[in-house]
Amino acid sequence: MRRLWKYQETYVALVIVLLSCAITLLNPNFLTLENLFDLLKSYTFLGILSIGVLFVLISGGIDISFTAVATVAVYTTMYVTLQHGGNIATVLLMSAAIGAGLGLINAVIIHFFNIPSIITTIATLNVYYGLLTVFSGGTWLYNMPEWFRRFAETNVISLVNPDGVPYGLSVIPLIWFAVILAAWVILHYTMLGRGIYALGGNLASAQRTGFNILALHLFVYSFMGLLAGIAGVVEVMLAQRVATNSMVGKELDVIAAVVLGGASLTGGVGTLWGTLLGVALVGIIGNGLTLMRISSYWYNVFIGLVIIVSVGVSAYRRKLQRRRKMSVEVE
Amino acid sequence: MRARTLFGLSLSLALIFSMLLSACATPTAPPATEAPKTEAPATEAPATEPAKTEAPATEPAKTEAAQPEAKKYEIAVVVKLTGIPWFNTMEKGVKRAAEELGVNAYQTGHTTDDPAQQAKVIEDLIAKGVDALCVVPNDAKSLEPVFKKAKDKGIIIITHESPDQVGNDYDLELIDNKKFGEHNLDMLVKFMGDSGEFAVYVGSLTVPAHNMWADAALAYAKEKYPNLKQVGDRYPVSEKVDDARKQTLDLIKAYPDLKGILAFGSQGPIGAAQALQEKGLADKIAVVGTVLPSQALPYLKDGSLKHGTLWNPADAGYGMVWLAKYLLDGNKVTDGMDVAGLGKATLKDRVLVIDAALDITKENAESLGF
Repeated sequence: MRRLWKYQETYVALVIVLLSCAITLLNPNFLTLENLFDLLKSYTFLGILSIGVLFVLISGGIDISFTAVATVAVYTTMYVTLQHGGNIATVLLMSAAIGAGLGLINAVIIHFFNIPSIITTIATLNVYYGLLTVFSGGTWLYNMPEWFRRFAETNVISLVNPDGVPYGLSVIPLIWFAVILAAWVILHYTMLGRGIYALGGNLASAQRTGFNILALHLFVYSFMGLLAGIAGVVEVMLAQRVATNSMVGKELDVIAAVVLGGASLTGGVGTLWGTLLGVALVGIIGNGLTLMRISSYWYNVFIGLVIIVSVGVSAYRRKLQRRRKMSVEVE
Repeated sequence: MRARTLFGLSLSLALIFSMLLSACATPTAPPATEAPKTEAPATEAPATEPAKTEAPATEPAKTEAAQPEAKKYEIAVVVKLTGIPWFNTMEKGVKRAAEELGVNAYQTGHTTDDPAQQAKVIEDLIAKGVDALCVVPNDAKSLEPVFKKAKDKGIIIITHESPDQVGNDYDLELIDNKKFGEHNLDMLVKFMGDSGEFAVYVGSLTVPAHNMWADAALAYAKEKYPNLKQVGDRYPVSEKVDDARKQTLDLIKAYPDLKGILAFGSQGPIGAAQALQEKGLADKIAVVGTVLPSQALPYLKDGSLKHGTLWNPADAGYGMVWLAKYLLDGNKVTDGMDVAGLGKATLKDRVLVIDAALDITKENAESLGF
């Protein structure tokens, strides 16, 4: 039990619980299945991307380009699909494949030229997004195919709320759940997962232990790209149009959610559990502010405060601990 | 919007990122909108003649040929953000003006709707030495210092959607903002009835036009429809479909009796309609607001969006460039003058207003062509 207080995840979970209680007291509509289902659907995009970012952060790198990767992947996919037709499987596969390919390019540059990942991916963000702007001319794609629209509207569980309005669990969060499951298996049950932690913890040690650094780099960044491609499709499912500029600019929101969930920007540290909590906190704040009927003018202030509280407490505890350790050494 | 504060977490990251991004995104002098179209100076000859006085009349044959190249005014149109349909359509008008008026007019801007980035783009254009700037401001206040800089250099400044702008020469409006706000509210009342709760969306709390319409609509509602009740404050979600969608889903739960949504900003009504469609609430909540006809069509058809309003952004682009050239030629702006063939304009405190508002319904959305 005492060990739990060492993790930032614990504090984030605590903040979520407190916040949920407060919101529910003010508006019981918060703690309903309907709200949960709506939130899951709305935050699938952020949730999928956050898992990719988690992998990259654990490996000791960072990726800024994933929003551009997502945009390029889904734009190309839908452009082709609108002309030649397809189905939901081809759309997801194609977008994921393009995303993985672009991620692979990131990995190759980072590994072989040994350029810091932040610089590489800032550069590739501009290249990918720039090329898309050139070729698309900023034109948006409307009129998504009928089958695409229908898939996005599919519910796997259908219920009716007390007011007689039907609601349900959309098929969209299932994509997120599948990604979570895959990530969990990779991180906890494969040598690959161990390798990613090792790489982020200490590159030299990982190398000497016998991990294939190139393979790890290739996997981490193309996995990020693959998830970006899928997340791009999810965004289009929700908005029913392909916009060139709707995703680029959200990089730091995603990275912030992952860091909020306890992953370290210096690598080697981070859990799937924490990342889910980070995304949940971001989602609950946004949702809760409206449900508590707080004036929109106060939103930003509130969000900032919640972040400071949830990150601040654990950071302060770590600082105290370090001080305590130091004093031991002096004696 | 709301999550933007999350950036604080990775502040250093954000700094490096934005610096690099803005460095890459500075307007790389758009390719001088297609070399001098020969027919343009020919058709325009009578109108532009007075401005070309310095050309020595002694050797007409030679100068005639060289003139269009040398004398072309450089007019830069800076929009809120590039790469969205609204401003893509505006660009069409700018290009048409460049061709028809024989000026070097082009459209540019930053990829985000960040006021600071917009100011930077304008500063670069000032340094480059343009003759006139046509600006659609993200934030009226934050552009005042750069406008002053431009004025000191003798650059003509035209704004659009910013009637209270300080530091510009003229502001061109294609709608009467007050009437437009009131008309939108009337349309909302038409579909939700004259009593009940409604919410107001804007692009952001600093976009001048959206907030002016909201001000006008709300003042009008207070006076004419006392039984209407606005919930919360205005929500800054109208620039992105998914923000407006999420906000609508949240509002439905926060205010179960909500009957209407008035959304200013082209993506707001779409996001709201999308949410209602998903929830099957299109019959219970009426959405009215500014939309692009082509994007709104499916929502108008299925009834999740009741009524759209707007003006043609291409006309705005054309009008701004026309007005800039008109001023560069040394002409005076007067009340009742015809602007760019768009109609008669009323002049009040440096604001030129032409009433060219459009109503967008499922019947005409397809034929409007943008």
